[in-house]
Amino acid sequence: MIRLENVSKVYATSTRPALDDVTMDVERGEFVFLIGPSGSGKSTLLRLLLREDVPSRGTVWVANWNVGRLARRRVPRLRQRMGCVFQDFRLLPNKTVAENVAFALEVIGKPRHTIRTVVPEVLDMVDLGGKADRMPSELSGGEAQRVAIARAFVNRPLVLLADEPTGNLDPETATGIMTLLERINRTGTTVLMATHDRQIVDSARRRVVELSSGRLARDDHRGVYGVAR
Amino acid sequence: MLFVWREALVGLRRNLTMTLAMVITTAISLGLLGAGLLAVRTIDRTEDLYYSLIAVQVALDEPTSAEDPDCSSPVCRDLRAELEADPLVASVEYESREAAFTRFQRIYAGQSILQLVRPQSLPATLRVTMDDPLRGTEIVDRFTGRPGVRNVVDQRSTVADLFSFLGSVRNATFGLAIVQALAAVLLISNTIQLSAFTRRTEVGIMRLVGATRWYTQVPFLIEAVVTGVVGAVLATAGLVAGKVFFLDNLLSGRLLANTIPPIGMTDVLGYVGPVLVVVGAVIATATGYVTLRLYVRS
Ligand SMILES: Nc1ncnc2c1ncn2[C@@H]1O[C@H](COP(=O)(O)OP(=O)(O)OP(=O)(O)O)[C@@H](O)[C@H]1O
Ligand SMILES: [Mg+2]
Repeated sequence: MIRLENVSKVYATSTRPALDDVTMDVERGEFVFLIGPSGSGKSTLLRLLLREDVPSRGTVWVANWNVGRLARRRVPRLRQRMGCVFQDFRLLPNKTVAENVAFALEVIGKPRHTIRTVVPEVLDMVDLGGKADRMPSELSGGEAQRVAIARAFVNRPLVLLADEPTGNLDPETATGIMTLLERINRTGTTVLMATHDRQIVDSARRRVVELSSGRLARDDHRGVYGVAR
Repeated sequence: MLFVWREALVGLRRNLTMTLAMVITTAISLGLLGAGLLAVRTIDRTEDLYYSLIAVQVALDEPTSAEDPDCSSPVCRDLRAELEADPLVASVEYESREAAFTRFQRIYAGQSILQLVRPQSLPATLRVTMDDPLRGTEIVDRFTGRPGVRNVVDQRSTVADLFSFLGSVRNATFGLAIVQALAAVLLISNTIQLSAFTRRTEVGIMRLVGATRWYTQVPFLIEAVVTGVVGAVLATAGLVAGKVFFLDNLLSGRLLANTIPPIGMTDVLGYVGPVLVVVGAVIATATGYVTLRLYVRS
């Protein structure tokens, strides 16, 4: 589903590569944690998958797209098949919860009656059925993140990318988010989650890929966050 | 599609002052353009009116004027025959001194100038209607100084002043319209850039969710088009008001009655209005499109 072949990324403003010759493979339906210290290149890797940036060297594949060489006008198609969740939620501030979720369907041109039935279903799935008409500013962090996850998932994406989705949340709420992501993963969606959350990684016992200064340092099938330091 | 309209309205409301400035500038520029178009219409019509009336007047000298009520004298007959044979000439009519005096009395009925004019001061004339009114000077050149001819006057030269006045009104309005249009274009472009800048985070999120560039930019285009169309409607309303409260009085007043044909409501609503709406929409769309292409990256 995701394949990186000798991918390097050097930002124009720095000499040290943010990603350095990374090769990895993620199968369809896998759940993968991406860990590593701050600045190790986790966000950069996700940005390359979303085509927010292009690799300096190497090839990035998502499904059958050669993401780095995708024509600009095809990028929306790629993103419509991927979901993404961020530490800062990135909800549209002047749309309600339901409108935010509906937006992901509107951009792919889903008819209105479909949107009207699908949005409440997904909001129920993330336990926000009663808050469809709230504005994002009226939500707690955990709720906002669940809206973001609902929006990312409502299209049934091939891949869900999450960049520190629990970074701003207390441990209990974080566990709730994690449960949600695992549920989504069980529907067959490939999940790639960058995180610093030791507790979550350790209790999930999933595949763990560790980056260190842009290099692939570790790839464990049923990993833990790391030896206590 | 509903979404983009909603976005556009939000955008227009968010920046109400700028929106108003845009609409007003656009309206003024389109109003001036409309005034220019109306001037052109009026000039064309005035010209039609006059060209059907005006003629080259070959005034005959005193002996012929005094003695020939029906162009039967050899001098008059020869002149008339030669004029009628000329390919430039459509028709020739003889007006005797008595007929001229009767017409004069009719035109200036009740005015003091009537007391000053005796029949003796009016010549008999051959009124020559031209096939092409613009070539009257050729007749003037050919017949001036001929025996029996007092003088030859091309009436067109007497209305030339009126046309040149109307022409400069038209040019001035068009000139102002262009300057105003430039201001409107810059203002629209600037507003779109500002609008896009205030919404860059939002647009960034939309793009991440998979919205196309087109999808995120159409609201800005709609903002521009709405501005153009609203401006055009206001401009048309302004022209209607100008017609009803100002021009109608002016053109039917003593000075200009029967000199310049009045401007009809159909000219404003049926011709200029639609033209302004189309021009406004096209200019605004083009401005919006170019602005988004050149200045708004996403
Ligand atoms: N837009 C950018 N321009 C220049 N350098 C960048 C840019 N984004 C990231 N970097 C650099 O690339 C390196 C990797 O950054 P990245 O954001 O991928 O790290 P990360 O693993 O996500 O860190 P964190 O855990 O703090 O989020 C860092 O050294 C960072 O300074
Ligand atoms: Mg990061």
